Amino acid sequence: MGRGGYFERYLRVDLGRPSAEHVPLDEATRRAVVGGVGLGALLLTRETPPCFDPLGPEAALVLAFGPLVGTPLTTSAKLAFVAKSPLTGRISDGLSSSSFAIAGKRAGLDAIVIVGEAAEPSIVLVDEEGAEVVPCPELWGRDFTISEASERLRKAYPSHRFAVIGVAGERLVRYAGIANEGRHAGRGGLGAVLGAKRVKAIGVRGSRPVPLADAEATLRIAKDLARRSLGPATEKYRSLGTVANLSTFNRLAALPTRNFQASTFEEARKIEGEVLHETRERGRGSCKSCTIGCEHFFEVRPGERPVKMEYENLFALGPLCGIGDPEVVLRASSACDELGIDTISAGGTIAFAMECAERGLFPKGMLAEEARDLGFGAGERMLVLLEDIARRRTALGDLLAEGSRRAAEIVGGEAPSFAPHVKGLEIPGYEPRALQTMALGFAVGTRGADHNRSGAYEADFSGKVNRFEASEESAAHAVAAEDRAAVMDALILCKFLRRAMEDFFGESAEMLQAVTGLPFEAEELARAAGRITLVRRLFNEREGWTPAEDTLPARFFEEKLPGGAAKGAGIDREGFARSIKAYHARRGLDERGFVPAEVAREMASLLRGKNR
Amino acid sequence: MVTIELYGVARLRAGREAIEVAARSLGEALSALGTACPALEPLIVAGGRLAPGWLVALNGAQITANLETPLGDEDVVVLVSADAGG
Repeated sequence: MGRGGYFERYLRVDLGRPSAEHVPLDEATRRAVVGGVGLGALLLTRETPPCFDPLGPEAALVLAFGPLVGTPLTTSAKLAFVAKSPLTGRISDGLSSSSFAIAGKRAGLDAIVIVGEAAEPSIVLVDEEGAEVVPCPELWGRDFTISEASERLRKAYPSHRFAVIGVAGERLVRYAGIANEGRHAGRGGLGAVLGAKRVKAIGVRGSRPVPLADAEATLRIAKDLARRSLGPATEKYRSLGTVANLSTFNRLAALPTRNFQASTFEEARKIEGEVLHETRERGRGSCKSCTIGCEHFFEVRPGERPVKMEYENLFALGPLCGIGDPEVVLRASSACDELGIDTISAGGTIAFAMECAERGLFPKGMLAEEARDLGFGAGERMLVLLEDIARRRTALGDLLAEGSRRAAEIVGGEAPSFAPHVKGLEIPGYEPRALQTMALGFAVGTRGADHNRSGAYEADFSGKVNRFEASEESAAHAVAAEDRAAVMDALILCKFLRRAMEDFFGESAEMLQAVTGLPFEAEELARAAGRITLVRRLFNEREGWTPAEDTLPARFFEEKLPGGAAKGAGIDREGFARSIKAYHARRGLDERGFVPAEVAREMASLLRGKNR
Repeated sequence: MVTIELYGVARLRAGREAIEVAARSLGEALSALGTACPALEPLIVAGGRLAPGWLVALNGAQITANLETPLGDEDVVVLVSADAGG
């Protein structure tokens, strides 16, 4: 058996000089963190000094591929964008699927690291030889939508695939994302990291085939996985998409509504997935190299281009803001995608502002004046506000471009108690009081409140735990959910496959062996999962993390849910603290949540690397 | 009568949002559901059991797959896909 899956090097691009160099990646590193988010977290740590400004020239943006990109395995056309988040000040990673990932890998790279700051607005063009930094005055500051900018780049550089920031990234909105081919690395403001470097887009091209150590075994596994990807485990995604969550969550009183003041929404019926499917669905799509096809497109108005919609967009721009008009929610989702802002943080920050406005908390002057007509259900006002945020125009738009945590600090008073975030990252569409194992997953997450790096809600929906109580048993589920996500995001494969895989670690190890030729074992992958979390935690500790950050906003401890099947549910502060301690113990952390000194010492050479 | 509410794929397959059945336990309710809505067999309910990936939220609250769970006339069985994420 030969070797495969890796090109055993990454490309380091310094925008300031500008220069590009290939840096070798040794086998020990690859086996320790596999790829994707693991490799990204490690390279981010290696390539940056302690306590750097995420929007400064010392910041690094890592584009990390997994060992499976470019292979026939379904859903493998993915990459991870990794950086220190300007929203949270902690590590952030966003995954995205497209032919960009395949082209980048086929440039003969396992990762691309971008550091420094361009002298003028530019694009970065990467190929098998290296990279060049090309000024792009025709694209910067022109207020192009993501689609317009992408189309211009496609015409100018037809052999490249592009990842692009929108106007929000240029204006350093702290939750600006990075888009590629209709997909988005949305969370944590990675688009602002690129914007601060004056990089409008990254183009990649490559034609090197990804080597397969055992092509026959890889093809056999790929065929079997593709067959299973079309089975009952993914029927929901194929028939309705993630929008199917909304009606179920509403019935279970787990649907965040009006900035988490309630968990059922009286207008849910108008925007639930089943109704959108019946009345507005106009087509399906899929990511590159995916057999599932979870994307569903919905009509806004006849004759207009249908809009792709996911549950998180639907909840954040709908019930969370008290909005039940499907046309408004679809328009808002499309606007976020074209402006280049994260829908969850946009919805969460606007919902927070709506509550501030209704409580009369904005200080007198411009902010209070501009928030005069803001309130839950103000759909048209939300659409204007999204444009204001992305461009940082108006006092209110500029304030909300900072995210809910910073906005709450400026508004002051009781506002921080109901700003809907963990570590600065706005909370996704899972009501913590109704799903308390998920609440634990949110609190301890290295990225902040995060449903993609912790699928702990699966325990809440399994009947194995009391979903209205975070317990020590919750901690075991939270660790297990994080571990599964860490490996999926390191490989990288789509999480929608998870229920199609009966023996997740065993099957993942088998794939890795076939593709890479390295003797990965299930137990080794399980250890890698824990190691990836520790790398992230050590990065956060280096950047100033304190145990006080692993918590939830005061609202969730002090206010009970008012109605529905979860009426009266709240989170017991002391019980929750016990579950966090139990998580620390299971994760191998000390009682306060720090990585023990002896473990940090053991990992020091891995974190440092040989090449720097 | 016990009410069974259907969401997502179950609703699409059954072509209805809810059904009333006579049942004294969850197992009996699921058997009646499979008989009344054959499109749910065997991928959602299978011979009076829940298929893998499906659970029940009794009255929308606690989630269970225990077929012995007793049901009364006012009870509502909410059929839930365990794959609730995304």
